[in-house]
Amino acid sequence: MSTGDRIDEYTQEEREIGTRPATPVTGLMVQYYHVCERELWFMSRGIDIDRETTNIQRGTHVDETSYQDSRRSFMIGNRIQLDLLDSGAVMEIKVSSTLEKPARMQLLFYLWFLKYVYDIEKDGVLAYPTERKRESVRLDERATAEVERTIIGILDLVAEETPPELSKKPYCDSCLYQDLCWM
Amino acid sequence: MTKPNHHIFADGELSRNESTLRIDTLDGETKYLPVESVDSLYLHGQIDFNTRALGLLNDHGVPVHVFGWKDYYKGSYLPKRGQVSGNTVVEQVRAYDDKRRLRIAHQVIEASIHNMRANIRYYSSRKGDFSTTLDKLSELKERVTSTETIDNLRAVEGNARKQYYRCFDTILREPFALERREYNPPSNEANALVSFLNGMVYTTCVSAIRKTALDPTVGFVHEPGERRFTLSLDIADIFKPILADRLVFRLVNRQQITVDDFESDLDGCLLTEDGRLTVLQEYEETLDRTIEHPRLNRKVSFKTLVQTDVYSLKKHLLTGEPYQATERWW
Repeated sequence: MSTGDRIDEYTQEEREIGTRPATPVTGLMVQYYHVCERELWFMSRGIDIDRETTNIQRGTHVDETSYQDSRRSFMIGNRIQLDLLDSGAVMEIKVSSTLEKPARMQLLFYLWFLKYVYDIEKDGVLAYPTERKRESVRLDERATAEVERTIIGILDLVAEETPPELSKKPYCDSCLYQDLCWM
Repeated sequence: MTKPNHHIFADGELSRNESTLRIDTLDGETKYLPVESVDSLYLHGQIDFNTRALGLLNDHGVPVHVFGWKDYYKGSYLPKRGQVSGNTVVEQVRAYDDKRRLRIAHQVIEASIHNMRANIRYYSSRKGDFSTTLDKLSELKERVTSTETIDNLRAVEGNARKQYYRCFDTILREPFALERREYNPPSNEANALVSFLNGMVYTTCVSAIRKTALDPTVGFVHEPGERRFTLSLDIADIFKPILADRLVFRLVNRQQITVDDFESDLDGCLLTEDGRLTVLQEYEETLDRTIEHPRLNRKVSFKTLVQTDVYSLKKHLLTGEPYQATERWW
């Protein structure tokens, strides 16, 4: 089956009321896929770790306290949670811009989901409140292709029997999964 | 990264006050305990508590270990599982039933013997000539790999532990002597101390396992038929030499604990309340002690080591990557 067919099939399953793809892709999975495939594999197997760490708490805090007046949270299909600004744009908030690509892909996935599953076209804003930085994100043709490659990549990865092999990344030392990964 | 445990010795009442814990002791003192800063709560006194207090502990994932008369371990109130994962439990039980069980058991016993040997090696020449025991322990550790049944494996482990405990009388400053390892109830001061600390190691392992989706009742060396959490018993065997025995030697030899810290009555010997306080304080400090971890590239506490050991087992069960039981490397 070609990539295009698989995407069509996936979109169809998402569109139909009462059905659900065998592997429902979420924004977090998209982000993980671009940060570390091993992390995504662990997460897909319900292998979770202590989420009460300061980094996570900081991220949650920044997310919960930023731009409160001008945005609202929506839960779509019981799975996709995104923030809409008063202007109508979809906003994704991150503490820092060090992992810019994964954050942008997560936001692009939301835009893709809205457009191809719900026929709603939106623009996106990626915001780093602690850095006083914002950038706008648009779902152009290239971005669409990249999101679709990501979705296929996630479906294939999650179907693997064993996790991708260990490889040292610069941010391993601050990853929540390090105690699991390297032990 | 890890939070400290908290021990309550007083008699009194534990309640919820807004979003924190409040302890009112019978002698009229009130203390507040920020629930987010507690890893596990230990109740040693007579404590009244209600479901509101338990609810708060539950929300923060804090297990409560309850001790009764003379600090006998009574049981644990475990928070609702934050980690639920059906396939973890399924894989754990499958591993118990297939050839993985023996390999995990090998790892546990090898690490356990290794850690016993490390203690004896430390005191060899310092306290006496233990070369015979050291050789015997090496030999037993090597025998593990070729031992093909769990029963025989337990025999090897039992044999090692016997050799190991035999050195205690030489290591311990007089008048402490283990003579024979006895419990239920412990027959002398050294046995009482070892029993008490082994119990603490056990609860430390219970807390660590609770942070994963593993089922604490399905162990690999110990048979799941026992009434206790057999997986905790397995993991505790690895860590007893590191967390308990080394502390026994230190407490006795530095005379932080003396025979006055014990009381004998009926047919047993147990720590006094003062004694328990001293031992627990030192035990908690041991848990917080850190060492450089070669694979994690950072300093980790002994308490984290217990956690990472459990993670390693869980990872093995779910991915097939090797389980590495913690062997003292420092």
